[in-house]
Amino acid sequence: MRKDFDFRSILRNNAVTIMFVLLCIICLSYSGQTVPYVMYELFGRLSRNAFIVLALILPIVAGMGINFAITIGAMAAQIAALWVVEWGIGGLGGFGVAAFMTVPIAAFFGYLIGNLLNRMKGQEMIGGLILGYFANGLYQLLFLFIFGNLIPLKAPGLVIKGSTGVANTIDLSTERGFKYALDGLWKVPFGTGLYITCGAVAVVAVVMLLLKKMSKKKAIITVGIAAASCLLYQIPFVASLFSMVQVPMVTFMVVGLLCLFNVGLMNTRLGQQFRAVGQNRTVANASGINVDRTRLIAIMISTVLAGWGQLIFVQNMGSFQTYGAHEQVGLYAGAAILVGGASIRKANNAQALLGCILFHLLFIVAPSAGKNLFGDAAIGEYFRVFISYGVIALALVMHAWRGVQKKKKAKAESQ
Amino acid sequence: MTNNKWRRLLAIVLCAAAVLLLVTGIIELPRRTGRAGQDVLDDARIQALLSVTGESVVESYVAIAKKEAQERVRAGGGSMNDIREAVEKAEQETREKYTGESTDLSQIDTASLRAATNAYMNALDEYGSLETAARAQYIEEHYAEAQAALEEKHRAMLEAGQEIPENDAVVVDMSGFVPTPEMLAAEAAADNAYLAVGDAISLIYPVLDKDSVMTLKDSVRGMLYQSDDDFSSQFDRYVEQGRAKRTFSAYLLRHADDLIYTAIALLVAAALLLYSEWLISKLGIPRVIIGLFFIILCFMTLLYDLSLPTLLSNTVVRMGMNAVMVLAIVPGIQCGISLNLGLPIGLVAGLLGGLMTIEFGIPGWGGFLFAILVGVVIAAVCGYLYAQLLNRLKGEEMSVTTYVGFSVVSLMCIAWLVLPFTSLKLRWPLGTGLRNTIGLDSGNFRHILNDWGAFNIGSFYVPTGLLLFMALCCFLVWLFSRSKTGVAMQAVGNNPRFAEAAGLNVNKMRVIGTMLSTVLGAVGILVYSQSYGFMQLYTAPRQMGFIAASAILIGGASTSRCKISHVLIGTFLFQGVLTLGMPVANVLVPGSTISETLRILISNGIILYALTKSGGASRA
Repeated sequence: MRKDFDFRSILRNNAVTIMFVLLCIICLSYSGQTVPYVMYELFGRLSRNAFIVLALILPIVAGMGINFAITIGAMAAQIAALWVVEWGIGGLGGFGVAAFMTVPIAAFFGYLIGNLLNRMKGQEMIGGLILGYFANGLYQLLFLFIFGNLIPLKAPGLVIKGSTGVANTIDLSTERGFKYALDGLWKVPFGTGLYITCGAVAVVAVVMLLLKKMSKKKAIITVGIAAASCLLYQIPFVASLFSMVQVPMVTFMVVGLLCLFNVGLMNTRLGQQFRAVGQNRTVANASGINVDRTRLIAIMISTVLAGWGQLIFVQNMGSFQTYGAHEQVGLYAGAAILVGGASIRKANNAQALLGCILFHLLFIVAPSAGKNLFGDAAIGEYFRVFISYGVIALALVMHAWRGVQKKKKAKAESQ
Repeated sequence: MTNNKWRRLLAIVLCAAAVLLLVTGIIELPRRTGRAGQDVLDDARIQALLSVTGESVVESYVAIAKKEAQERVRAGGGSMNDIREAVEKAEQETREKYTGESTDLSQIDTASLRAATNAYMNALDEYGSLETAARAQYIEEHYAEAQAALEEKHRAMLEAGQEIPENDAVVVDMSGFVPTPEMLAAEAAADNAYLAVGDAISLIYPVLDKDSVMTLKDSVRGMLYQSDDDFSSQFDRYVEQGRAKRTFSAYLLRHADDLIYTAIALLVAAALLLYSEWLISKLGIPRVIIGLFFIILCFMTLLYDLSLPTLLSNTVVRMGMNAVMVLAIVPGIQCGISLNLGLPIGLVAGLLGGLMTIEFGIPGWGGFLFAILVGVVIAAVCGYLYAQLLNRLKGEEMSVTTYVGFSVVSLMCIAWLVLPFTSLKLRWPLGTGLRNTIGLDSGNFRHILNDWGAFNIGSFYVPTGLLLFMALCCFLVWLFSRSKTGVAMQAVGNNPRFAEAAGLNVNKMRVIGTMLSTVLGAVGILVYSQSYGFMQLYTAPRQMGFIAASAILIGGASTSRCKISHVLIGTFLFQGVLTLGMPVANVLVPGSTISETLRILISNGIILYALTKSGGASRA
């Protein structure tokens, strides 16, 4: 069976992504930045942001839209990070303890979020957004008046004398912190990383073929792509583009594992339930699925994953703004996944990763492009904020628009 | 049943306690100005006086002991080292011996000291009232001068490219103030009176000679008398200085007013307890909580001796400055687009109008009306386009409006950087773009509504013009909702299908409601700015839609139903909690930002609550 190659429908369905690619190219050409530098920045940003974007997929599949309440997962991670620094568990151990601590805290928060969102079905996104703001108030209460006052903190630098509450910045680069705990484990130049990845992919494809879990054609294509990318890298020009890139292998492996988890989960019974609930709650309920419980689980998993994502982010940055690091998490991750071609009803790993790449590419080049085009870097800064909000607004408008169109069509057909 | 019984019992207990406190308070309060209050203050004052002078007594003893020790060792032929050691030892011993001994009033004859101190207090009082009057007169004479100087300073700051601080008030420079002859005479009389006090102290502590008594003069004076003293502040200061035991009766007298406040609070609590079910069913839990919170804050300001009338007056001002923005939510709800969180569209239109007024330099009322006119026109156009968008996505308005509003605000951030305004009041002289906050002054429309026909009742400032304007806007919206179009619009909002069947043009009505909401937003931000004295650009308007929406929800509206009364009640309660919350929070946790945290919790909490009530709790 041959699919019809309808150029217009492809254009229409991927308008945001295509527009973004164009925007990135324009900004890149005006930014005056070299490609190796942009690549270096991009890989850094990808390694610290991809995980949290992937955390958004489950709630979208379960029909709850973009989970803007992942900011609360980030807050859970920051609570854990604060205590790990207080206890002075540095390095990988500290990261592990923080990740372990994040699970119960984020799961508990996720439970509360899920229950609340179950009371406002159809309004989850605005609800999640406002819930994020609300939780930020509670977070401030916790960090300003409880930690450091009612519960004393002893570690140096956590509390500044003369001001109330926890200090504005928590530094992870001392021996008490876990800066680069994950990134620093195994860092290789881009070429080595590419060979390792391609080799692993080829081996997996062959094994899958032998176990008859993959069709012959698919396996050959996979191995072929891996080999081709290795060959492409042999061209000196291509290699020079990536000359500055250092790949934190473990971090990307964790991201890869999350992708596998997302795919694997979709093939389980629970995954089917997510999908059923996402498609139609009434039908799902009629077929015996506990809709509320399914949605609750999706939000809880998403919140825990977001917490881990924030930990990966802060271990890469080496410090975080106590009262601000979580605020924009939901906005940037949400915009990124939409840029990749996801809608508020459909999303997959590829869209999340592609969106992450495009969105952060724009983030890197927009300020300097703004400076070169308009003579002011602030314009580029505001432009990327505008793009973040604008992309979400556009996605919402398009989704709502399609819904209305569908209703009209159904009405016209029934008449 | 038992639950009800317990509640009734508790209410009765509360009432009984309240009556007890009330009676005690009412009996005690008048005694402050009478004989008893005078005695309590006298005792505390003498105690404090002796304690302050007692510290220098210890110093005198220490000096004497050191001298003696030095001579003793030197006479014994000790080395320099021995002398030093002996002196240190003597100092330590003497200090231990005398410090911490609280003075027992009953063992000292303080009659002469009392008489001298009272005379001294009277002299100080006379001097103080003369000084206050003279200073007030000086300030009155020089106020206009200081105001002109401040505006001159602001102009210079603008040209130098600095931001005008938001809390810059007119301060009269007192360096040119010269004491009047009457003041000098009163001061000499007070100094004379102090000599008598000094003599009396010397009688009690013979070790203090005349010179050391004179060196104590300033600290004694500062402790005894401060301007604007009342019973409570004097008592608190003496007790703190004197380290004296607080006797129960003195304590009762000191807190008589607090007893009365607590009693009233308990009565209110009892009434609320009795009618709690009725209140909750009538108002809903969040409103009861916020209302209670407001009442508690009122009592706490009284207990902490903060000025409640001033704070309530600030609340009224802030209610007036926010009310029109909150009112802008009303047509949105009525026409069925739910909470118009895209209000920032109207706000930036209003800001544009204000900027143009300053750019063209139109002064006074003309400028304000011009700003409103320009704002309304821009808002009407934007509102029309915005309404066209919303008409294409019925049922999904809330999340779309939020993000459209956010997008517009961030788009305008770029616009503020590139718009071709030229006035130095608006632009940074170096660098590009408009300033973050634009200070209004008397040449523009700063406080133009607030000060129109404003008057004071005690410390309660009534911003007549602002309140009248608020009332006018509310009345117009109410009038509109009674008109034929308004009724049709509400019908569309309540039940679009029915309205369509009845032959109403649903889309047209929604356009009217959305435009009206946006236009009111533009007017609202101008009213807000003229009262605040500053126009805030860039990201400032982003959260204002949420604040307006939460205010109307606090007032009792839901996402599909609202009245004008909800606007007024909600704005008053919300702003009241914020205004009263800040000083109370600063007493509890000094220098904290808890008031801002409070705003975040209240405004977002109420929106969340409204969302849970807007349906969708069904299982499927």
